Amino acid sequence: MSLNPTLDRRELIKRVAYLMGGAVSAPAVLGILQGCTAKTPTGTWTPVFFTAAQAALVEEVADILIPRTDTPGAKDVGVPAFIDLMLKDTYPKRDQDRYLEGLNAFEAGARARHGRDFLKLDAGTRVDYVRHVHEKALLGMRTGATNGDTGQQFLMMTKELTLLGFFSSEVGCTQVLQHSSVPGEYRCVPLAEAGNGRTWAE
Amino acid sequence: MDNNTYDAIVVGTGISGGWAAKELTEKGLKTLVLERGRMVRHGEYPTATLEPWQFEYAGRPTQRDLERQGVQARTGYTITQATKHWFVDDVDNPYTEIKRFDWMRGYQVGGRSIVWGRQSYRWSPIDFEANARDGHGVDWPIRYEDLAPWYDYVESFIGVSGQAEGLPQLPDGKFLPPMELNCVEKYFRDVLAEKFGRRLTIGRAAHLTALLPHSPQRGLCQYRNRCMRGCPYGAYFSSLSSTLPAAEKTGNMTLRPNSIVYEIIYDEKKNRATGVRVIDAETNQHHEFFARVIFLCASTFGSTFIMLNSVSNRFPNGFGNDSGELGCNIMDHHLNVGASAEVEGFDDKYYVGRRPNGVYIVRYRNIGNDKRDYVRGFGYQGHAGRTGWTSVVTQDVLGADIKTKAATPGPWYIYLGGFGEMLPYHENRVTLDRTRTDKWGLPVLAFDAELKENERKMRKDMMQDAVEMLEAAGFKNVRPFDAEIGVGLGIHEMGTARMGRDPKTSVLNAWNQVHACKNVFVTDGSCMTSSACVNPSLTYMALTARAANYAVEELKRRNL
Repeated sequence: MSLNPTLDRRELIKRVAYLMGGAVSAPAVLGILQGCTAKTPTGTWTPVFFTAAQAALVEEVADILIPRTDTPGAKDVGVPAFIDLMLKDTYPKRDQDRYLEGLNAFEAGARARHGRDFLKLDAGTRVDYVRHVHEKALLGMRTGATNGDTGQQFLMMTKELTLLGFFSSEVGCTQVLQHSSVPGEYRCVPLAEAGNGRTWAE
Repeated sequence: MDNNTYDAIVVGTGISGGWAAKELTEKGLKTLVLERGRMVRHGEYPTATLEPWQFEYAGRPTQRDLERQGVQARTGYTITQATKHWFVDDVDNPYTEIKRFDWMRGYQVGGRSIVWGRQSYRWSPIDFEANARDGHGVDWPIRYEDLAPWYDYVESFIGVSGQAEGLPQLPDGKFLPPMELNCVEKYFRDVLAEKFGRRLTIGRAAHLTALLPHSPQRGLCQYRNRCMRGCPYGAYFSSLSSTLPAAEKTGNMTLRPNSIVYEIIYDEKKNRATGVRVIDAETNQHHEFFARVIFLCASTFGSTFIMLNSVSNRFPNGFGNDSGELGCNIMDHHLNVGASAEVEGFDDKYYVGRRPNGVYIVRYRNIGNDKRDYVRGFGYQGHAGRTGWTSVVTQDVLGADIKTKAATPGPWYIYLGGFGEMLPYHENRVTLDRTRTDKWGLPVLAFDAELKENERKMRKDMMQDAVEMLEAAGFKNVRPFDAEIGVGLGIHEMGTARMGRDPKTSVLNAWNQVHACKNVFVTDGSCMTSSACVNPSLTYMALTARAANYAVEELKRRNL
């Protein structure tokens, strides 16, 4: 059997693992369900991992990361529920805990910086705060200086999950990227002749 | 003849077993084919046509999946929502790791031929002579010329796409049209030729780029690159798409899934194996089946397990184990070492289709006048492509810009991963661990194997050469890597019942017959005397077809 790993995926896993402060591995016990019955503010899904308050915050962050434009956004394609399910079923307990700890730190950071809860900020300030945390996280990554800010880790984990959920959705694959189920050939061509010229989803 | 008696028994339905079944049935033998796993027929590939958005968890394994298949997940690509059903449950199928050992395997009709990498290379005359020349292991009892017609035969049947290169260290085969190199790969090929005199060629892959009249059930490759899920077009070779349908067509095959062979029945008076003992995986009932000739094709460690577990007065240390070499000399290809880089200057080019194949850089170390501080050599497998949306995760992009950025094809990259030859060391071995049992109460295997000095020295070259070649091409941000690995991760395990000239130092003879019991043939990877640096499956096929032909001739001559 020969390996044919895509660099993309290897690199991504490595980088996200780095952001989370270590290797992602080790099977662990399933997380404890929290707040199973509470509906989110949008009322469109019921969290299986998050509390209602956590779900509302993650939903808002995901929608800031990928908003609706002329194509649907993260919230429209169900990314918040995807993140909730991924955390419950695919993350080991240690990483679930790290994520929730980061979520709290992200909240605390909003209060410290803007004087109120993230969800109570006006829309523009929420975007500003997400951008602020994002910039600091990227700076830390580039300089290699991990300052252990779990709020930054939370944002980067949420960004990774949001992009993963969005670009593995049908909308992400076919309306934002381009997708061909059965290409029937492999050819190297001028960019303009590669379908509609957008990134291939798969 | 009662209904438990056949002319031949084949144990296993993977790459080797499928070939044994085809050859023996086509030559008229009533053949019982035993498979320990469940039944799967060609076309029964539950995830084959699912789109990316149709997988739960974006295709990733859950913690629950990893509780059952954590060992099988060690590659990083085997346990996904698209492919996990082709790999064993580690809880039901445990093994002991005296040293870390990665044993990736699938128990179903078709075995690992459903998920194999499809890279198909001939061994060269140099490979068959290597042990004799440098004194490692024992000499192969055959040479390239013995196998060459059988390579022709199996390539013509399975269909191998590739480019003839005229190199002595990588003999050309009977090729279907090659797949295409992309623009970056072509540029890199030319750099390697001009600056290093090294050869980059498109991977030789068992995919149909032209139809095969003898296999009308198989279609052309559609460039979906979803091969590991099983191909509904039958475009790549597997036992399911190719050899088992051929065997079935003869009317001579009886295929029995859920049949765990755990012992060879040996008749001391006649010095013959008379049959095999089986546990039904579903009912746990024991059965015996009898035949004049037995082909063990249960995979390297599968066949070795059966032999180690077949103890008699004549063979107190395992079936055919007069030499003490049974279970020894574990080999694999060592990998996960090489380099990657970013490529500038091709941003106006892209591709259509998902090529299920990469490029191959042919071995050049210790060839001709090249002499290193280690023996043998390595090749590289790799590919060039453009990054997709994942690169956006770590970019300074947020909001609507994420869509724009992700929809713009990312920079080109190139990746080279070495595949290195591993020497046969007697002490790299697998034994029976009778202190533990699997789901069916059978003892488990215990692995004790490691890479040694020759491999470690080779890995330095594998990394440094990759860096040197990528830099010589002017690629940017060249990043070397050398991941510490256990043995087994190449999923090219070999050598634990090796062929040889001398029964005192080997288990099998030049025809894959057990030296001490001629009606048992072993033709999977366990027979290999050395590992070369190329993917071994094609060689198992050629050896199996050759051995089956010989077995039938010997039956006709009444020698078996």
